[in-house]
Parts: sequence; C-alpha cells; structure tokens
Amino acid sequence: MKKDLLLGLVVLLILAAFLLTTDFQTVDQFYLTHMEDITPDSDTVTVAIVCGEAVKNPGRLDETLLERLPEDGVILPETTYVLRPGDTVLDLLIRTARYNRIPLEYQGAGANVLGTAYVQGIGYLYEFSCGTGSGWVYSVNGVFPGCGCSEYALSPGDRVVWQYTCDFGRDVGALQEGGGS
Amino acid sequence: MELLKVENLSFTYPGAGKKALEGVSFTLERGSFNLLCGRSGCGKSTLLRLLKRELAPYGERSGEIRYKGAPLEALEPRVSAGEIGFVTQNPEEQIVTDKVWHELAFGLENLGLPQADIRRRVGEMASYFGIQDWYHRDTDGLSGGQKQLLNLAAVMVLQPRLLLLDEPTGQLDPIAAADFMATLQKLNRELGLTILLAEHRLEEVFPIAHRVIAMEEGAILSDAPPRETAAALRGQPLAQGLPSACRIWSGLGAAEPCPMTVGEGREFLEAGYGSRRGARVCPPAAAPGEPVLEAEHIWFRYAREAPDVLRDLSLSLRRGEIFSVLGGNGTGKTTTLGVLSGLDRPYRGQVLLEGKKLRDWRGTSLYRGKLALLPQNPKTLFLRPTLREDLEEQLRAMEIPREAWPRKVAELADRLGLEDFLARHPYDLSGGEQQKCALGRLLLTEPQVLLLDEPTKGLDADFKNRFAGLLGDLRDRGKAILLVTHDVEFAAQVSDRCGLFFDGQLISQGPPQEFFSANNFYTTAASRISRTLFPNAVLCREVVALCQGETL
Amino acid sequence: MNAFSKVHPGVASVYFLGILLFSMFVMNPVLELLTLLGGLLFCSSLPGDKKGLGGYFGMILIMALVNPLFSHNGVTPLFFMNGNAVTLEALAYGAAMGVMLGGVLLWCRSFSLLMTSEKLVYLVGRGCPKLAVVLSSALRYVPMLKRQARRVERAQRAAGLFGPDNRADRLRASLRVWAVLVSWSLENGVETARSMAARGYGLRGRTNYGNVSFTLRDGVLLGVVAALSGGVLAGLLAGELAFSWYPALVWREPGPLGAGSYVCFGALALLPVCLEWEERIRWNYSRSKI
Repeated sequence: MKKDLLLGLVVLLILAAFLLTTDFQTVDQFYLTHMEDITPDSDTVTVAIVCGEAVKNPGRLDETLLERLPEDGVILPETTYVLRPGDTVLDLLIRTARYNRIPLEYQGAGANVLGTAYVQGIGYLYEFSCGTGSGWVYSVNGVFPGCGCSEYALSPGDRVVWQYTCDFGRDVGALQEGGGS
Repeated sequence: MELLKVENLSFTYPGAGKKALEGVSFTLERGSFNLLCGRSGCGKSTLLRLLKRELAPYGERSGEIRYKGAPLEALEPRVSAGEIGFVTQNPEEQIVTDKVWHELAFGLENLGLPQADIRRRVGEMASYFGIQDWYHRDTDGLSGGQKQLLNLAAVMVLQPRLLLLDEPTGQLDPIAAADFMATLQKLNRELGLTILLAEHRLEEVFPIAHRVIAMEEGAILSDAPPRETAAALRGQPLAQGLPSACRIWSGLGAAEPCPMTVGEGREFLEAGYGSRRGARVCPPAAAPGEPVLEAEHIWFRYAREAPDVLRDLSLSLRRGEIFSVLGGNGTGKTTTLGVLSGLDRPYRGQVLLEGKKLRDWRGTSLYRGKLALLPQNPKTLFLRPTLREDLEEQLRAMEIPREAWPRKVAELADRLGLEDFLARHPYDLSGGEQQKCALGRLLLTEPQVLLLDEPTKGLDADFKNRFAGLLGDLRDRGKAILLVTHDVEFAAQVSDRCGLFFDGQLISQGPPQEFFSANNFYTTAASRISRTLFPNAVLCREVVALCQGETL
Repeated sequence: MNAFSKVHPGVASVYFLGILLFSMFVMNPVLELLTLLGGLLFCSSLPGDKKGLGGYFGMILIMALVNPLFSHNGVTPLFFMNGNAVTLEALAYGAAMGVMLGGVLLWCRSFSLLMTSEKLVYLVGRGCPKLAVVLSSALRYVPMLKRQARRVERAQRAAGLFGPDNRADRLRASLRVWAVLVSWSLENGVETARSMAARGYGLRGRTNYGNVSFTLRDGVLLGVVAALSGGVLAGLLAGELAFSWYPALVWREPGPLGAGSYVCFGALALLPVCLEWEERIRWNYSRSKI
C-alpha cells in the first residue's frame, strides 16, 4: 500500500517535470514568425527548396506523398530574405520553413552520431522516401559544401538551394555525399 | 524346448583381478519363470547384462550364450533389440521421453514400424496394463510403481520372447511391488513369456518361480525348483533372504519337505509343533529414557489450497529407542520427517527438541550435534568425488580443526567398516554401501536424534541384518532413532516401538510383538504363519525358539 | 477443451503463421483490428489466466502516445511540442502499431497454449525423428533436475552443511549442489542411454509416432485456410489493401476484390471462434435429438 502510493507519487513527479520542461504551442502560435522587411541597406540571401528529382521518379514515391508534392517540383521558389548576423544555413531554413508553413523535421547537432545537424524531411518528403539513396542536400552559390548545415555561416548575397537527391547526390550534381549534411 | 542356453560363461571386468563370473552354465526353457537370487555383488547384474547384447559390459568373456540355438552375437540387431527385453532397478532412469504414450511408442519407433501398427500395439499394451487412465500424462508426475509398470509395458510392446529383470521392485513399496510381480506372473502364464528375474525380495516370488538359480561369488550355487533350492541352501548365508516359512523350517532343521507359503508354513507348524501352542515371547522390558523429540498436534500442508497431509499428529521419541513408523505410500510418512527435522514448518502445532521449540534453535545449531536426517535417496548426501572428501567436507562444516580430520575419518571408517570405500566415488558403490556411507557422514555430526527415511530400500537380506546391527549399536549409545519404512520385517526386527501411520496421523503404536500381533494384514509373514500357535511371535527366530521350547 | 486444439498441429502452425505474417507485414487498420479482435476472442476461449488481457489495451494506448514523440511527419499537426509537430497521423500510426503488437502477442499466447509439448515434438519428429527424441527427453529432464536439486539442497541442510546464516556459505552451497547435479545427470544419462539401446535406439529407419492423425477434417480446414489466405493475398497484390499513414491518412476505397479480401481475412481471424461455436452447436443439437 505504502509502496504503491510512493510509486504513484514518483510517476506524478516525472509527469509534472515533463510537462513543465515542455513548451506547448498551438499550430497557429508555432507558425506565427516574424520576418524582417527588406530595406535597401539590409543584407540578404536567397533560398530555394526543390524536389525535381523526386517528382521525376513518381513510381518510387508513395501515392499519397506524390499528391502533396508540387507538380513542378518547386516547394519554395527562389525567395530573398534578410540575413541576420551569424545565421547558418539551418537557421535560415528553419525560419523560412516556419514562415511559409512548410513542415520541417531535423535532428539537432547533439541528437545524432554525425555531430552536426541533419535535415530529415521537408514538406512531407523524407530521407529514403524515394529509394535508399534519397535525402536532402544543400548547395550555396552552386557549390555543395562538405560540412553540416548548422556549421555553414552565410554571407550576404549567398544563394542557398535545398535539393532532394534520389541517388546519393549524383543526380543533383553533388559529388557523392548522401543526405542533407 | 530351450530358449536360451548359457555354457561355461566366464567374465572379467577390465583391470579387475577376480573373475566376475566363473563357469556359469544353465538353460532357460520356453515359457518358464526363473528366479535369480544371490547377495549384492554376486554377479547377478553382470550375468543379466551379458544376456542382453546391447547392454553387455566391456571385458574379457569366454563361453557361449545361445539364443534359439544361435550364438547371441549372430542375432539380427532388430531381433536382438525386440525379442530380449530388459528392465532395471531404478524406475526413473529408464524413462526416456516426457509423455506416457510416447514412452510406450519409443521402442516401436526405433524399430521403424509404421504409424498404424504403432497405434495398435501401443493401444493394446496400454489396455492390457491398465495404463489408459494415465496414458496422456507426463512421465514425470507418475508414482514409482506406475513408472516401473510403464517401463515394463514399454518393453512388452516390442513383443519380447525373453524378459530379463534386474531387481525391478527394489525401489517400490510393497503394494506396488506386489502389483508388479502379479503382472509378471500374468505375462508368464497368459503369454508364455520366458522370464529371468533377479530379486532380493523373495517372500512372494520364491514360491511361484519354476526354477531358482542361486549365485554366489560369480558362480552358480544351485539351480533347481524352489523347494529343492531351499533345501540346498540350508545353513548357507543366502538362506537369510528366503521366505519366512523356509527360514523357520531351516532353523528347526526339520526333515519334512520345505514349506514355501504362509499356508504351508502354518500347516507345517500345526503338524509338528502343535504341543507348544500358547507359548509367548516375553519382550525385554526396556527402560524408557526421557523424551527428546516431541511433536504436538501438528497440522501441515504443502500449499494453501492443498489438502492437509498431517492432521493433528502427535508423537514422542525417547532417548535410547528405535521407533518405526509404518504405513502405505502417500500417507505422509516422509512429510512427517520433513516437519520433525525442521525442514518444513507446520502451520499449527509445534515440534520440541529437548523441550525447546525447533524454530528457536539458531542457525545450524540444530543440525550440528542434535538432529540428522538420512534422506530416502542416499545419493543426495554426496557432493564430492570421493567419500573421504565428503566426510572432510562434513568435518569442515562442523568447524573441527584440520589436524583432527584424518583421525576422525579413520575412527568412523573403522567403526562402520568403510575403509574400502574412502577413496572411491560414492556413486560407484552399491545401494547398501551408499546407505552405510551416508549414515557414516551423518554420524560425524554426532546427532542425538537420527531420522531415517526408508533406510532398507533396495538392500539385500544380508545388508539389512548388518544395518540393523548398526542401528542397535547406536541405540545402545543412547541415541534416539526414528525410521519410517514399508519394510515390516525390518521394523519388527530392530524396533523398540512401532506405529501405524494413516490419514495424516499415528493410529496405533506399541512394542513390535504387541503391535504386529494385533494387526491381521499389516504384519510379518512369521506372525501370520505362527499366530494360531504363538499369539505374539513376530520374527522367524522367535518362532523357532518357541518351537524348540526356549523361553524368550 | 477447445475445438481448435483438436486440429492437426501442422495445419494449426500454417494457420498461425499466416495470421502473423498478414498482420505484421500489412499495416492496414482493418486487418490489425480484425487480428486483435480474433486474438482476443480466441485467447479468452482458451483455458488459462485471463487477467493479463486488459494490459494489452494499456499497451496500445502507450504506443499511440509515444509514437508522436519520435515521428513528426503528417499533414495534420495538432499542436507543437518543443518546436516539433504532434500530428494526427503519427498518433494514428502509433495506435495501429499498438493494435498490431497486441494482436500478435495475443495470437502467440494462444499458440503457446495450444501447441503443447507433445504436438511440438510430433512436428519436429516429422522432419527429424532423432531430434524429436532429444527434445522429448530434454522436456522430461528439466523437472527431474529441478526435483533432484531440491532434494540435494534439503539433504545437505539437514546434515548441517551450508547453514543459512551467512552469504559465503550459501554461495558455496549452490556451487556444490550444481557440481553434484552435473555428475548425477551424467550418471543418470548413462542409465537412460542403456535403456534406449536396449529398446533398439540407433537402428536404421526410425519412424515417428504421434498421437495425432491427419483427418479429412484437417484437410478441409487446410483447404479453407489456403483459400482464405489466397483471397487476402489477391487483394494485397492488387494493391487493394494499401493504406497510407504518412503524410496523410488515406484509405483506399475497396473495390469488389478489396472487399472480398477484407471478408476473407475476417473469416480467417475468426476461424477458431467459429470452430468453437460450430462444436457447441453440434453438441447442443446432438443432445436435443436424444
């Protein structure tokens, strides 16, 4: 009896701790994001998110998923945003995705073995959704950097493109690194 | 028509100087019931194993064994496996599979019979042996008697012509043993099965055998029908194991043909010694010591939902006495020992040792110097590869200094005659020798109270006598001994007091002469033979003495 | 006695395997629910403890709640937790996983209750008669060894060895008891081996006897199971049973083939219960005729 009470108390405590440390937001609260207005003297970068390779291979995609993807493979056309000081490629992606209500799922740098952030899915399109060699990669000014997106600090005027590869990056012009590092 | 012929068979185990068998010759007639008797270690088992090719021991063999006229070695494997059946002493170890029906089918599977044939033969055999009620059970849950009957049936499904049995009832209680023997006799009579049976327990089986082969020291002592065998063995040590009627006849040195059964024995006494009618045995008035172990209104059961095994049991054991508790199987005799030894705790009532409750004896103080229990299977007491190490283990537990060990071991070995066993593995000893060694180890704890569970199981007459002497000696040193047993003759021989256990309690008790003469069924054969003449004689030697006019 | 326990163990095994494969590899909510329902009805018709059955629902609930913590995909976010979406799809998928797991466990439990050791030995023996003997004697050996361990322990205790008053002694005791049990087993094994040899073990051409026989009824049942499985498989291969969990819950409107597949699987999952009812009805009918 006494032990049961104690156990209940412990469970209650854990639950309370979980609830207190968790930040709950409604959907609208979450997507309510501030984007600075572009003024002539502000530093800017451009971001585009495309999944042309995936749309080209409709047979390898789940039907329901295909319906949710834009037909032309452009999830976000090239758009210009204000660059905040110290912004990494990931920071910019998170902000952009929230602003445009594009679902985004990524692992933080501490959550995986790579030691750097890893983007798993953008707009319902996830790694491995289109075969074993599929996933998200990014390029800056047409170059695929070899480092993680949370480590690449952007400079004004950079052009970031997130591309979905179906073949370890070969189909989008990256050398060989798979995934969206 | 002969089925098996053994000619001048000799056998030596590798490394042994002495021959285990020497010049053994005999024949077995078809359909005959043959009894093979002799003391432990006389070569009975060796002989039986040599007759079953698959079990023949390794060693140097000479002479010939012919089965149906052909040498045993030349038999086809299937014929040899199927036509010669073998049942050994231990019911447990012969069972191979986990289900009764599978055990019955096992031999037939080996012979490669098709499913339908196996089904028919197994069904037939199960009906013949009355196994159908436990046909689907696990072999593990059977009683010893059922197990042995199953072993017999599992051999009989192979339809053997010759059945060899090595002390098959050694581990059974008297009722199960009688059942088993009755089944054997039925098989012999109804199916014409040829049987060669090695046995210690001769009271019932001796009169029904067609022929008795008596062995001693690896050679045949006599080979004749039972009545002639009894005459031939007169005065020999082997005669101790014969039925009571024969022993009385032998003790009196009578000239008439030997009586074999209780009825014949009674007629023999009435005819020759009617004049001594009414003579009585006067048991020595034992000076009762003070009680050491007392049980007061014990109730016990193994689980909350289980039925009570002990119901209001009370008994007391005195210093310097041997108290035998008799009773059928499953009446709770072994449970009583569990409770009296403190291994099991009663839920009502208490056990007092020297006036102090059992549970108040702290730690191991109870089992070191006060009370010891000899379990039913002496093997469970041995832990080490040699007897000496086992005894030393006990001395270590007793916290006796190492320097004193050799002296203590030597003293004990001298007292019980264990010298030859000290360097051997206890498992290699015979049942009787194991029993003696186990008792020896317990005596190292110098107990005041000794509890023995079926100490005579599987022992031959000679060993029993020596064991009885040992117990008497301990009693005279003031120990209190309680034994539970099925063995009526042994209890009558050694006890100062006997009690009958039934339905969870002791329903009658008294000195053996009083106790057994009051029982009609649960009594010794000697008492049943002589009760019309001598109202309270229970042992063969008492009957002999009264016939000869001695006063006891 | 359950009606299904009389079915030939081979047929029963094929049946169980079919159910388990369908429910584990086809993540379709209708199939999962039918599996759970069938398993629940079957399990509760068998003798044995029914207490644990409630626990399966707890498990389903927990699976449903835990999955959204790890999976954030889905078009219907309900709310966000630490910046991660908790979606309806993830919740649904978790629940479906829970139902699947619960169903599979229930079926496994029923299977273990029905597949008694003798049926198992029989099945093994069909393939390899010698292995059947090994298995059967192992099954016999375990209780025997346990009993002997207890006997040795009690005998030693009553002989004053290994008092319960200190840990070192007790450790020593269990080591010694184990050591002696090994030699006891070897000794025992020799005797058992002799008994086996005496009854012709090792001769060529050993057969395997089982207390079971393949009856016409078993044949019919096997046919029914095969036909129903075929029906499910046809629907499956035609894609009629496809169900999308991510990114959106999309239920494919079943055509006639799909509908047939669902019916087939329902019949398959409820087969043991149907057999049980059939037997009961037959029994009542036979009684009413007297």
